[in-house]
Amino acid sequence: MPDMQPLISDFVLKLKRRKVEGSHAVARQTAELLRSVVSQHRMGSTNQAAALADAIHAVGEHLIAANPIELAVGNTVRRVLHIIKEEDISFTAVGIEGLSVTAVSDDECDSGNDDRPTLSAAVLASHARNALRAPSLQTLLDDIPVSTALSHSSSSAGDSDGKSKYTGDKSLKTRKLKHDVIAAIGDLIEEIDTCYDQISEQAVEHIHQNEVILTLGRSRTVKEFLYAAKEKKRSFRVFVAEGAPRYQGHALAKELVEKGIQTTVITDSAVFAMISRVNMVIVGVHAIMANGGVIAPVGMNMVALAAQRHAVPFVVVAGSHKLCPLYPHNPEVLLNELKSPSDLLDFGEFSNCMNFSTQDGTPLLNVANPTFDYVPPKLVSLFITDTGGHSPSYMYRLISEYYSADDLVVRRKSTS
Amino acid sequence: MQFDDVHRVEKAKKRAIVNQSEARNRVELFRHLPQYVHGTQLPDLESKFFQLEPIHPSVYKVGLQYLSGEVSGGNGRCIAMLLAFREAIKDYSTPPNKTLSRDLTAKVSSYVSFFIECRPLSISMGNAIRFLKNRIAKLPITLSESEAKASLQSDIDRFINEKIVVADQVIVSHAITKVRDDDVLLTYGSSSVVEMILEHAHELGRKFRVIVVDSRPKLEGQGLLRRLVAKGINCTYTHINAVSYIMHEVTRVFLGASSILSNGTVYSRVGTASVAMVAHAFGIPVLVCCEAYKFHERVQLDSICANELGDPDVISKIPGRADLGDLKNWADNENLQLLNLTYDATPSDYVSMII
Repeated sequence: MPDMQPLISDFVLKLKRRKVEGSHAVARQTAELLRSVVSQHRMGSTNQAAALADAIHAVGEHLIAANPIELAVGNTVRRVLHIIKEEDISFTAVGIEGLSVTAVSDDECDSGNDDRPTLSAAVLASHARNALRAPSLQTLLDDIPVSTALSHSSSSAGDSDGKSKYTGDKSLKTRKLKHDVIAAIGDLIEEIDTCYDQISEQAVEHIHQNEVILTLGRSRTVKEFLYAAKEKKRSFRVFVAEGAPRYQGHALAKELVEKGIQTTVITDSAVFAMISRVNMVIVGVHAIMANGGVIAPVGMNMVALAAQRHAVPFVVVAGSHKLCPLYPHNPEVLLNELKSPSDLLDFGEFSNCMNFSTQDGTPLLNVANPTFDYVPPKLVSLFITDTGGHSPSYMYRLISEYYSADDLVVRRKSTS
Repeated sequence: MQFDDVHRVEKAKKRAIVNQSEARNRVELFRHLPQYVHGTQLPDLESKFFQLEPIHPSVYKVGLQYLSGEVSGGNGRCIAMLLAFREAIKDYSTPPNKTLSRDLTAKVSSYVSFFIECRPLSISMGNAIRFLKNRIAKLPITLSESEAKASLQSDIDRFINEKIVVADQVIVSHAITKVRDDDVLLTYGSSSVVEMILEHAHELGRKFRVIVVDSRPKLEGQGLLRRLVAKGINCTYTHINAVSYIMHEVTRVFLGASSILSNGTVYSRVGTASVAMVAHAFGIPVLVCCEAYKFHERVQLDSICANELGDPDVISKIPGRADLGDLKNWADNENLQLLNLTYDATPSDYVSMII
């Protein structure tokens, strides 16, 4: 653990100083950092999962405190905690089942071993996880014959376990748990990286010919989404609202034109005027909250209201690392960040106004420059994530699959 | 004028005084509106200043002011135009064998087409021109030239006084009753009437806060902000994207208008509709202040049928942020268009009250 400290403080500093920005980069780096923490963690003899979880809690608390607005950090920490819990549960369950199944179907087991040489620990864990979970829409739709696969795979691992006796060989168990957790975190990182591809695959279902699409600001997910539709030879036009004060819409427009997509750049004030001619609004967001509401770059609420007024579908594309189990209480204040006024007003020009103050000392001129906007769930028509398309009311279900309820507050428990 | 009809455009170009070159990369939806490359007309017109006989110099001056954007805002433009006409009428002399009313009407029409070439007319200007032509037509034949001219000049003065100056005072006196202590008022862009209301309320000693919402590319709110802070009014400044954030503090929204149409639609600076929509969503009353002479019997459902297209280059250049040069050569790319709308239409259900 001590050799992890410089890495952790380095990352915390980067978060505090906003050197790392953007949910994707943040989530990825957090996951990699936590993987290193897990691999460096010295596993004790008893109660390893709880100790591991405690270590993650301690690190996670620092990370979240560094930048509370960057919800992807908290999401990733909670995902890792959930993974640890799941691995622990599935591990013990597999151990128990392995014992009972050892005798059964030895000939099947041999052939099973030939057909399916080493099933990775990750596959084993996911099967166990599926078996343990209450039947959800996800598992019912999954075609994996869970029980048969489980028995095959568990028998191969159960052999070694059964021989070594569940209560007996602790070192094997501890190594296996850590190995499982690290593999699962590796899966998580891969999931974060491939979310763009999986979302873009769904692009063709939603964009038809001669469609007019509106977007605000710049989101990499939206960009990949539109690229994929263009690859499949759909012809559509895009209106990009520039997204003051960062003006990232300009960069997105340039990228879209390079691919040959007809693009028109409009100012944010013209959104209401143009939206009557738009078929669909597709946007990327900063985070999706537990009630289906969305934290998005500033100006999105205006776009969502205009879309509702003109009955234009408001589609949000986001990777699952942006899904946050917290409920937004007063999101304008608590989940927002006010940036520098110099984005809006030139200090030089307004210096004479700045010095002005009333008798009681309050300045006459205030500037508000928020970064984020909250869009309530009733304004969102559809969420497209890497798991498919969902309505806002389904978000709680996804959250229960990815996170566990007692991890909502990430805090170091009293050390034993 | 239908700008998507090629023949008519060709005919108009032959008669034109100002040489306009059409913009590249026009947005398809707006083919029916004129779009020209800005920045080329001004030096051209300046050089022709002493050559243009049929255009009176004060009219010419006002046309140049429109072109450069020095004079903007419905009231300002209308007053400038009427004063220019006043000067022109003062110096006018009827040529022989022509009746005053017909010749003068023809002259006024030629001035108006010059103005249109500089910048499309606002609705307030249209109404004022109609009034003037009406007065000219109604002149009794028996009047001598000097009397006719004097009567027209006094008509113009009366129009300006009654319809604009006094009307503004009446609006201010009505609107003051709506401003209470501890109010937080939001306004968008820069409207002369709203500015008068705020200043008057401050003079009367009401305690209130103002939030000025601004948007690109004109950034008119900054001028208003400066004037209000100079008067000592407590102000907050944001950009239009932040209205949802700031709206929960607001008690009332005051908006100005370029015109109010027959179906209740408010035709005003682009972005007004968004502000009114967000205010409506939060349940905040929206008060639109507009003089009666700006009303028009036209109806309009959306902002695309009739609008004004501004200079698209202004969108690509962001003042003070030289690093954001992504759209520098936007005209070279045929897939990329920039759209700079000037007006938009706010549906009537967002408006709580018209003063």
